[in-house]
Amino acid sequence: MSNNTSVVKNAVCTFCGCVCDDMELTVDLDEKRITKAKNACVLGRAWFYEHKIENYPVALIDGKEASLEEAVDEAARILVNAKFPAIYGLSDTTCEAQKEAVAIADYINGNIDTTTSVCHGPTGMAFQGVGESTASLGEIKNRADFVMYWGGNPAEAHPRHFQRYAVSPKGLHIPNGKEDRTIVMVDVRTTQSASVADIFLKVKPGRDFELLWALRALVKGAALDSSVEETTGIPLDTMKDLVERMKSCQFGVIFFGMGLTMTRGRHFNAGALLALATDLNDYTHFVALPTRGHGNVTGADNVVSWQTGYPFGISFNRGYPRFNPGEFTTADVLARGEIDALCVIASDPGSNFSKKAIEHLRAIPVITLDPKPTVTSQLARVAFTTATYGINVRGTVYRMDNVPLTTRPAFESPFPSDQDVLSAIKERVCELRGLKHASNRMTRQTAKVAV
Amino acid sequence: MSVLRIINGKVHDPVNNIDGRIKDIFVRDGKIVESVPEDSPTIDASGMVVLPGGVDIHCHIAGHKVNMARKFQPEDHRKDAQLRVGELRSGTGGVVPSTFTTGYRYATLGYTTAMEAAVPPMSARHTLEEFHDTPVIDKGFYVLLANNIFLNQLLEKGRMEEFREAVAWWLNASKAYAIKLVNPGGDEPWKGRKNSNVDQLDQKISGFDLTPRKIIKALIDVSNDLGLPHPAHIHCNNLGHSGNYATTLDTMRTAEGRRVHITHIQFHSYGGKLGEKPTSKAAEIAEYINHHPNITADVGQVMFGNATIMTGDAPLTWLLRNMTHKKWINADTECESGCGILPFAYQGHVYTHALQWAVGLELFLLSKDPWRMVLSTDHPNGGSFENYPRLIRLLMDREFRNEEARKVNQKAIANTKLLDIDREMTMQEIAIITRAGPARILGLTDKGQLGVGADADITIYDENENREEMFNAARYVVKSGNIFIDNHEFREDRHGRIYHVAPDYDPAVEDTLRPFFEDYYTIQFDNYAVDDSYLGDHETVKPYPARFEEAKVSMT
Amino acid sequence: MKLRLHTTPEVPLEAEVISPDALQGLSESEAALLPIYHGNRKVGLGEFFEISGRVDESEGVVEVEGDLSRVKLIGHSMSAGRLVIHGSVGAHLGASMKGGEIHVSGDAADWVGREMSGGRIVIQGNAGHMVGSAVRGSSAGVQGGEIIIHGNALNEVGNGMRRGLIAVGGNTHDFTGVNMLAGTIVVLGRLGMRPGAGMVRGSIVAMERTECLPTFTYNSTIQPDFIRFYLFHLRKLGMSIKDEFINGQYERWSGDSLELNKGEILMYAG
Repeated sequence: MSNNTSVVKNAVCTFCGCVCDDMELTVDLDEKRITKAKNACVLGRAWFYEHKIENYPVALIDGKEASLEEAVDEAARILVNAKFPAIYGLSDTTCEAQKEAVAIADYINGNIDTTTSVCHGPTGMAFQGVGESTASLGEIKNRADFVMYWGGNPAEAHPRHFQRYAVSPKGLHIPNGKEDRTIVMVDVRTTQSASVADIFLKVKPGRDFELLWALRALVKGAALDSSVEETTGIPLDTMKDLVERMKSCQFGVIFFGMGLTMTRGRHFNAGALLALATDLNDYTHFVALPTRGHGNVTGADNVVSWQTGYPFGISFNRGYPRFNPGEFTTADVLARGEIDALCVIASDPGSNFSKKAIEHLRAIPVITLDPKPTVTSQLARVAFTTATYGINVRGTVYRMDNVPLTTRPAFESPFPSDQDVLSAIKERVCELRGLKHASNRMTRQTAKVAV
Repeated sequence: MSVLRIINGKVHDPVNNIDGRIKDIFVRDGKIVESVPEDSPTIDASGMVVLPGGVDIHCHIAGHKVNMARKFQPEDHRKDAQLRVGELRSGTGGVVPSTFTTGYRYATLGYTTAMEAAVPPMSARHTLEEFHDTPVIDKGFYVLLANNIFLNQLLEKGRMEEFREAVAWWLNASKAYAIKLVNPGGDEPWKGRKNSNVDQLDQKISGFDLTPRKIIKALIDVSNDLGLPHPAHIHCNNLGHSGNYATTLDTMRTAEGRRVHITHIQFHSYGGKLGEKPTSKAAEIAEYINHHPNITADVGQVMFGNATIMTGDAPLTWLLRNMTHKKWINADTECESGCGILPFAYQGHVYTHALQWAVGLELFLLSKDPWRMVLSTDHPNGGSFENYPRLIRLLMDREFRNEEARKVNQKAIANTKLLDIDREMTMQEIAIITRAGPARILGLTDKGQLGVGADADITIYDENENREEMFNAARYVVKSGNIFIDNHEFREDRHGRIYHVAPDYDPAVEDTLRPFFEDYYTIQFDNYAVDDSYLGDHETVKPYPARFEEAKVSMT
Repeated sequence: MKLRLHTTPEVPLEAEVISPDALQGLSESEAALLPIYHGNRKVGLGEFFEISGRVDESEGVVEVEGDLSRVKLIGHSMSAGRLVIHGSVGAHLGASMKGGEIHVSGDAADWVGREMSGGRIVIQGNAGHMVGSAVRGSSAGVQGGEIIIHGNALNEVGNGMRRGLIAVGGNTHDFTGVNMLAGTIVVLGRLGMRPGAGMVRGSIVAMERTECLPTFTYNSTIQPDFIRFYLFHLRKLGMSIKDEFINGQYERWSGDSLELNKGEILMYAG
């Protein structure tokens, strides 16, 4: 370790959706690495410590080293030539890069989709169906005396969630921290998180919907048949007690994870939970929040929404955005063998998609942007090495509760940012398609269609 | 840079007392100038009407709540696609359009400036990010401060000096243009156990030794004392409730003669008993404003068809939600604000909706000073900004107005004076309520006019007796001296400029703020303020005390 | 008029012009120029289809053959005539259909007859998810018309249905009749999990027993006339209906009590 160090205060950790912004990073500027990450959790420390600048080529074409310009040109050509290209990923990069990615999708008449479609996509669909009552995390800290976690394991997935936002912190109306709160955990198994819970409900696997539906009925004062105990694995008296606590708290919150959204029932599970929180507003103030995983997946939702009107699963093939999860989401278009080119930013579908999807991934030209080699980058036609957002790249990220923050990079990377690469590809795409200085014919010409 | 001549057009420029005279306009480097060489690029505006670019003083177009409302309604977007042309981006329309579409469509109507009306400070960064993707138009936003816990704690303790410094700090930290009050004092009871609200200006706010009136008075005073170009922008308490006109009058009286702007006042001009059907008190409200030159207002006209309610007034949306049983959003921001959103449709046959529609028109037509009662639909709350051309026709064409009035709930219309009003607004008056007036109220002296030195934001319409058709699509739109719409065709994309204020403050106030942030916020104090990189092309509008009084022009 | 797919598309086609409305009155060469989307390329219908004959004035019949499993939006917004498809079709068959009849000899992908308001769609094989459903974000699905699936159907049959009839000869997957506003769904086999969740009004009839949600309550076992009426109607349309179903008793469960509780699930009880 050299003596040439610097300290970055209030740095932003972009590892998970908590996006803690109180990091104090000690940086060895000669070795280009972080030697200390004060306040970081176990996941954050790994994220910071393991980040080193490796000697990768900036770009590979067919596995051979290439210049950035050559790779940009090749990537642009692949995307322009494709009849059904898709852009995917985006949850671990800055909003500035995400904006460029949506622009490219628009200019190539392709698909744009984010990792939301494989995590809280169902929540997004449920939100469109039933709405939601939500809050920024500080409201939970300041007010929530009833805190419930459903289908998630924050102790391992969001280690500081308890401490910073929802369980132990003291707040305006919560002077004693955890003592002033009732903590409830609902899951199909006893996880590490269960230890903080005052009440733990072990719901039968795949029966979250029935339990949520039963709780909604109890909130509305309806009588329930005792068979619901058998179905859900939860005694009726326990449910009634829970509902009483929910109705009588000052400010309640339910956090929910992929244990709810990615199990049988998916968007209806999320919808039932959002509806339960909304129903409870007849009695008290009540909110619900998905615990989002990736550091800027919430930013991806936001950017894609403001640019297109829709959050994910979008096709521009007709020259304007159309939305349909299942039809345009990446895992589905890959599994059905539909797309003929894919650009992946900061994600690794090659390691976590279905077998069928990966088979098709191998059959089409793929472009990747990632700080490190991944399964997907290994099979890519064009692979860019990019700087790591947050640690090396300044930009905007959104916390899981939609609060935007600006990152404070620790040191410079020799690699270009995702934004730099995507912006270059965008420029090249516009050149190849002759979009520059094209005569723009239209003012009010809109397609009043809904196919 | 660029030069341009616009010749032979019929010019309406109320600030410079030009009312429909044929006059040539010259442009150089984004500004109106005395002259340019004869061989400069020229638009022959023969048979056309030339107006300054439109200025929307109150709309909801960017930020967290707008984006939630956007992704909330895929079923609305899909009926209204905006196609990509060349490099101009595609998008979707409907009641809450995507960002690019918002910019292009404002421009299509001849609007070149629009102010986002309600942003919690924590959402400022998000709002500016969306502004970056909202092309063509200039913009700014108003920051929500009337339910700010820290500020209210200072007020409660009577620490007025620090209050003023903290407000100035917040304006700087968020890059806002003006101070916004929404349902002052209502968030705390809403976020409390009973989901309640405040309904009287002198009622104690739960958890505080404080009343809405004290908050209102303090923020009116501080806006004036800081010399902000736009005064406190107030969404009064009791929005939408029968009998609320009393609260509105009370709020205006609280200003004690100081400048204040009352927004979407149509929603605050109802008589009747709480819980019963509203009646119109437009005449009473208009009368008060006619006699109080310190008050300005925008109407917040309701237009029939789809709308989206989106407001910091969360308890109101809960009330509406329980009436409509439609999907609903509530979104609380720590220490700062609440928010509610729901899709809505105004229907002519419904008594209340028809009454709201008529009350708005009454307010326009009963106000004597168009400079102080300007046009808005509180987009998208009263309806989309795309309704402006139709609204203009309703104001300019009595026959059309009465025809429309006859199509809707007659009990409602009979409870208003609408059919007794003969007034038809002139083109000059339209130029005031859509351009010159809002620009003046905003303190944007280079906007809303075509005098030498003004911003070259110019719109040119084909003269057409049907004013809806006329205003529906500008034939030319010049923004900052560049032609964006050229004979009905888009030219290249332009970024607009961001307007904000940066009043001086004593940095010592940060020592007071920091501990509060450490205790009650979840983001670090040092990460809270938005830096200049989010502004892009921008202008810091300087404090200008008594600007309004100086600029005041009587139209009577 | 006959259309035959002569070239396998590399990526999905979107061909809402394959409908009697769009093809009526056109010559073969005119029809060949109608725009379809091959991925993001706008091409003529003739680039993928061999077109012969004209759409006859009176019947308005269009026949299509070939592997159409990657052809979406066939019969979109169709208002009259008859579309006969020999083979399987891609997504959004008969979406927003207003009238006429579509007959498919093979299977259909997702979104059959979504937002349909009139006419009839008959699928001899199986159908995918979202048969006769609302689009995302919307609360109202099918406004009228009939969808007959002889095989099985997957999730969310009749999501948000407001009026009309959907019949499935085999089984359905989860959330059949979810958020139904009114209308009738008949399933000759078994319902998947959580039928009728959030339903306001309307009837879901099934011939095999399924667990109901806790917000549904058993009322009585009855022999409703309307079931006989519907089953005779379906039999006339070619569905094989056992006599015992027509004459049988049905357990009536009402729900969803979270909504108006005016919906019903009727399950054959022998």
